[in-house]
Amino acid sequence: MAIRLTVNGQSVSIDAEPDTPLLWVLRDELKLKGTKFGCGAGLCGACTVHVNGAPARSCSTALELVAGAEITTIEGLSSGAELHPLQKAWIAEGVPQCGYCQSGQIMAAAHLLASNPSPSREEVVATMTGNLCRCGTYPRIIAAVESVVGQYQAAGQSPAVTPVAREGA
Amino acid sequence: MAGSEMNRRDFLKVSTAASGGLLLSLSLPGCASLDTGYQEDTGEWRPDAWLELTRDDRIVFTLARVEMGQGTYTGLTTLVAEELDVPPERIDVVFAPVDAAYRNPLFGLQLTGGSTSVASSWEPLRAAGASARLLLVKAAARVWQVEAGRCSTRDGVVVHPDGPDVLRYGQLVHLAEQESLPAEVPLKPRSEWRYLGRDRGRLDAHAKVTGQAQYGIDVDLPGMLYAVMVRSPRYGGNPASFNRETLLGMPGVVDAFITERGIAIVADRYWRARKAQQAIEVTWDNREAIAVSGDDVFAGYRQAATDDPGETERHDGDVEALPEYEGWLTAEYEQPYLAHATMEPMNATAWYRDGHMEIWAPTQAPDLGRIAAARQSDLSPGEITVHTTFLGGGFGRRLTQDYIEEVAAIAVRLDTPVKLIWSREEDMRHGFLRPAMLHRMTARLEGEVLTGWDHQIVGPQILDWYVRNAAPAQYPWAPKFLYDTLGKVGLAAEGIATPKDISAIEGAVDYPYQVPNVRVRHTHTDPGVPITWWRSVGYSHNGFAVETFMDELAHHAGADPYQFRLGLLAHEPRHRQVLERAARHAGWGEPQAEGRARGMALFKSFGTYVAQVVEASVEYGEIRVHRVVCSVDCGQVVNPRIVEDQIAGGILFGLTAALYGEITLQQGEIQQSNFHDYRLLPMHQAPMIKIDIVDSDEPPTGVGEPGVPPVIPALGNALFALTGNRQRRLPFRA
Repeated sequence: MAIRLTVNGQSVSIDAEPDTPLLWVLRDELKLKGTKFGCGAGLCGACTVHVNGAPARSCSTALELVAGAEITTIEGLSSGAELHPLQKAWIAEGVPQCGYCQSGQIMAAAHLLASNPSPSREEVVATMTGNLCRCGTYPRIIAAVESVVGQYQAAGQSPAVTPVAREGA
Repeated sequence: MAGSEMNRRDFLKVSTAASGGLLLSLSLPGCASLDTGYQEDTGEWRPDAWLELTRDDRIVFTLARVEMGQGTYTGLTTLVAEELDVPPERIDVVFAPVDAAYRNPLFGLQLTGGSTSVASSWEPLRAAGASARLLLVKAAARVWQVEAGRCSTRDGVVVHPDGPDVLRYGQLVHLAEQESLPAEVPLKPRSEWRYLGRDRGRLDAHAKVTGQAQYGIDVDLPGMLYAVMVRSPRYGGNPASFNRETLLGMPGVVDAFITERGIAIVADRYWRARKAQQAIEVTWDNREAIAVSGDDVFAGYRQAATDDPGETERHDGDVEALPEYEGWLTAEYEQPYLAHATMEPMNATAWYRDGHMEIWAPTQAPDLGRIAAARQSDLSPGEITVHTTFLGGGFGRRLTQDYIEEVAAIAVRLDTPVKLIWSREEDMRHGFLRPAMLHRMTARLEGEVLTGWDHQIVGPQILDWYVRNAAPAQYPWAPKFLYDTLGKVGLAAEGIATPKDISAIEGAVDYPYQVPNVRVRHTHTDPGVPITWWRSVGYSHNGFAVETFMDELAHHAGADPYQFRLGLLAHEPRHRQVLERAARHAGWGEPQAEGRARGMALFKSFGTYVAQVVEASVEYGEIRVHRVVCSVDCGQVVNPRIVEDQIAGGILFGLTAALYGEITLQQGEIQQSNFHDYRLLPMHQAPMIKIDIVDSDEPPTGVGEPGVPPVIPALGNALFALTGNRQRRLPFRA
């Protein structure tokens, strides 16, 4: 029996077992490969998407649980050619190394800023700490999120200390 | 490689591309220098070069070092761009196919590892860019009938010496081929660099933040099937039988069969293959399976260390002539097995048809992958094409090609493409590990003076596990029945035809401190648990042993650990410099916050000098790392930001090992399975990191790995300073 849902604004009908994780529906049925498989157990966050505006681990979200839901993936985060401010910040800060976890990182950060446009450093870290990165991009992720927070905030507020600082000789 | 003395014309070939554009091929010296007496004759079609310029102004650079996060995609492209005088963003990057031309000259294999990519490309890639530019300038000068030396270039055009006229590179490529190159093509002096040495964004960032970058797991082909494997929980076990009929009756299951590495289940959808996997019942034949448990490994190492003094790898002075026992200090250090835990689990896709196989894989060594596929099929390496993708992390894991062997063994049974995906649990339990190691350290202090150092390293070496595919990859035209022989010959010829395996001893034999009597020994013993390279390899364990013991000796001598090290480095200016700078930046010796302490370590690896000071505390019974200050000397810097990222990433990788990293076995089975029991450092545990890069005119050296080794002993030394308990076993306990 087909299950209907909306993915990045498009209504789709999926004919798959109801217990199929949303991740594999996105990747293999809809060919949206930007959402990644990391652990299959909701432990790493590489598969983070938005379900009805809330972050969800698509690797452990069964298709039947999202029937009728609105799903947003990294491919649908921005509209048209214009990138989401976080994607721009990720490029400007040079966040990605291997890049594999970054779709999930950006989706987690996008939800944070959508619900709290000016989080503190502690709030950024408390939210993002569920998304693992093996390359060690955490300092740049914090800097990228805070650069967008800075754009959202009124000018004149002092930015937080950069988590990787460069020392002069 | 004697880069600067190289005659650049000898390894650069200019020709016309199929596109009608200009093609520059590099033949790297060293590729054919294995001194085996064999001719470098692969009989392969060689369609690709390193650099192609087309009439419509496309510039295509073939990247022969895979991109796994370390920044080759950006860094190596920048080397070419600088000399070609175009912005790096203008260059299209393609991943190299398998070809002898793309071998890493330092290994004789087409592999990415050992923090060698920039160092081995520094000279030839800049020369390629400079040569292309010079040919274009000479062609323009001929068109204009002016002296070439008076023409300049800018952003992909040649500029007329007297006026506004310009000629685009694309307009000149058909003429440029007719021009000749001098024996020595000059490279830009550092003062004229526009892109090198500057903070620049990563060329792959856009693709990676939009979900468009294609990793191995993203490969999708028409009619593709999905495969999962069921492997013996114990390494060396084999399936005797399984409930095949039950599986074949499950939805979507296409086939299930026994292969050399376990049982393959093939289905039309990934989830259906995974569900069939849950339903499998297997009888294992464990006659050849390992049965290692718990402390067996270290008990075995201790026995071996006592029975066998080991092969002496370095001996200065005469350690044994020193008075025995009196004044000798000893310590023993243990490091467990470690998994790589790349975020992208192992996977590969293969399509076998018409006497040919195509492989798509995130691999650090595509030529070894080709041999791995040849082993599992009726094909020769020349009939196998390997397409390399972006890698979702490598850290050495993807130098071993087991997952390509698996997918090839499956593909030959099908007439459609098939993608094999490992689960995280399989990735954790069936990987190849950083070896567990034991170190027995002995030193003699005479007052405050260190006069003797004896370091016994106990454990396996990686070549034993690696040579199986590496030796045939160096001779891909050899008949397959010789593969096993080549593998054994490779091992027998270690140090003669193949480079000596230094994986167990690196970082120990190059002990830098000025001590009159130094001995380093390796007692070679192997518990049979599969191993491979792991980010910083032997340096990862030797760094811990050497720099922890140095700290212990400083305390025994009643000396400050910083001054103690400094006093033994009069002859090592680059070591001394990073140590002094790290101490200064960290405020070594200055008062610090209540409940915190500092520790330091100094370690050179992959040609790069790194000193780190860690500030740590113990809060509610847990170790907290607050701050890491790191000074690094890696010679000239291609992209400071990428250097910072690699060093910072290495620090966090090392801290993960120091705080959590441990793979344990019970009756031959690995006990860990996923990120809940093999933890990665989460963001809230990451310290502030300060990085200080030494400005240098020395040739560039590696940065992907050198951040890892020193942070582990530096943290352990900080914990000793804090608590008085010496950390001699990893991972650390508060």
